[in-house]
Amino acid sequence: MKPALIKEVIKGIFAKPATIQYPKERTSIEPDFRGRQYADLKKCIGCSLCAVECPANAITMVKVPDEYVVPKTNARKIYPVVNYFRCVFCYRCVTVCPTSAYLITNEYRLASSAPIDSSELSLSTTTKVKAGDVQ
Amino acid sequence: MEATHLIEIPVTVEIPVGPQHPALHEPLLLKLYADGERIIKVDVMTGYNHRGVEKLAEKNSFYRDIFIVGRVCGICNTVHANCYVRALEYILGVDPPPRAKYLRVLAMELERIHSHMLILAVTAELAGYETLFMYLMRDREYIMKSKEILTGQRVMADYMMVGGVRRDLDEVKASRILDIVKRVEERIRYYHRVFQEDVTINRRLRDAGRIKHADALAHSLVGPVARGSGVKTDVRVQDKYDAYGDIPFNVITEDYGDSYARAMVRFGELYESINMVKYILTHLPQGNPVPDEKRLPRRFPVDESYAVVEAPRGELTYYVSSSGSDKPYRVKIRTPSLNNIVNSAFAYVDQMIADVPIILGSFDPCISCMERAVITDLRRGLKYRVPLKALGGVKK
Repeated sequence: MKPALIKEVIKGIFAKPATIQYPKERTSIEPDFRGRQYADLKKCIGCSLCAVECPANAITMVKVPDEYVVPKTNARKIYPVVNYFRCVFCYRCVTVCPTSAYLITNEYRLASSAPIDSSELSLSTTTKVKAGDVQ
Repeated sequence: MEATHLIEIPVTVEIPVGPQHPALHEPLLLKLYADGERIIKVDVMTGYNHRGVEKLAEKNSFYRDIFIVGRVCGICNTVHANCYVRALEYILGVDPPPRAKYLRVLAMELERIHSHMLILAVTAELAGYETLFMYLMRDREYIMKSKEILTGQRVMADYMMVGGVRRDLDEVKASRILDIVKRVEERIRYYHRVFQEDVTINRRLRDAGRIKHADALAHSLVGPVARGSGVKTDVRVQDKYDAYGDIPFNVITEDYGDSYARAMVRFGELYESINMVKYILTHLPQGNPVPDEKRLPRRFPVDESYAVVEAPRGELTYYVSSSGSDKPYRVKIRTPSLNNIVNSAFAYVDQMIADVPIILGSFDPCISCMERAVITDLRRGLKYRVPLKALGGVKK
């Protein structure tokens, strides 16, 4: 019997480090990694199914502000807001959505000191009402 | 005054290990009673991490529970979800397509590989061999990557769904996983050799916490712990759930039953799992494994079912009872770890205190109480033992 790892350790001294200097260096992530998701307000019909099915209760249905255009299919004018601090990124909301309204990204860098949710991203998918238009 | 009695008080100390301990990975309290360096008795106290998952499962719908039970354990989340999903499938009478069954086994075997690599790394760490820990964990990261390729996340797979799996595997991804697994297999062969040859590992693991075949049976131990004692138990063979009936593999057993034998069982299972992964990736049936989650039935018929799965740590069972609503009436989870840890307190007895880290984890010694005293009657030359509290009544 002998200390068997010595050769490996000596090799390791001259090898490139296995660790990644995050956040200076980005972690390599798959394109279909389950990252931040948000609802596309052009497709959302406000059915609340995602909020009902969310296992972490991370989704609340919120009224769309008056200045944003809402499609006629969304009669109640509500949309899902994902609280990313509660979200477990299981993508159940994405798979149960009857209109496939969720936009998925592989964004994983969600550390923040202030609460973050999907309202800003969701509202950016629609346009503001022009002056004079009646909704 | 003439001395009549010599009172020797052996330091039978009670050493609480845990529940908060820097080297112990779970909030578990091991109360060691040690006579000198030798352990006399161990009390295992659990319940520090009670989260009420079973109650939570009753309060949520069947489908929400798939993701809740996956979070019972981070390391074995796909097996938890698989067991629960299969229990639901038995109620609904759904049979997933063959491709989905193969992909489920693929996810579970990748999980077994990284789980065994983790516990082998931790074994090395507890033996004081942190270099080996670091190297094993570095190579485990490749398996985590392959799990990310397959399921979409490194740890929390959320891969199981009633009637199949939640995402398909294309040719490119399959070849990438195959490459990773082949690379990791070489590394595992190397670490296996290190475990066999290295003087530190051998001296620390051999004869530590030996469990005999009869003891393993009598205490109904499961998983690699039982297989390390020569008990040929494996639910994958006994139940042949999912695609385990089609995929060739062997049940690895070792006879001696010490910590070293358990490590060797895990190495053997690593090879078997790698061979299974290779087999699955080259023999994947065609078809669509992903069910449309929008069309799954919301209400479940009045029924009950019982599913069993071989988790990396042993036999895991789920009992699901449905009362006809959209929520389960009862979900009962029986995990292998509780069975193995609570029932294996006898394995520490007669070991050295220094071996406890190998058998379970490190310890933080603290003299809590002294249990018994030895009284020598100097005039008559007799030795007898009394409880410590009786010392107040020693007659002069």
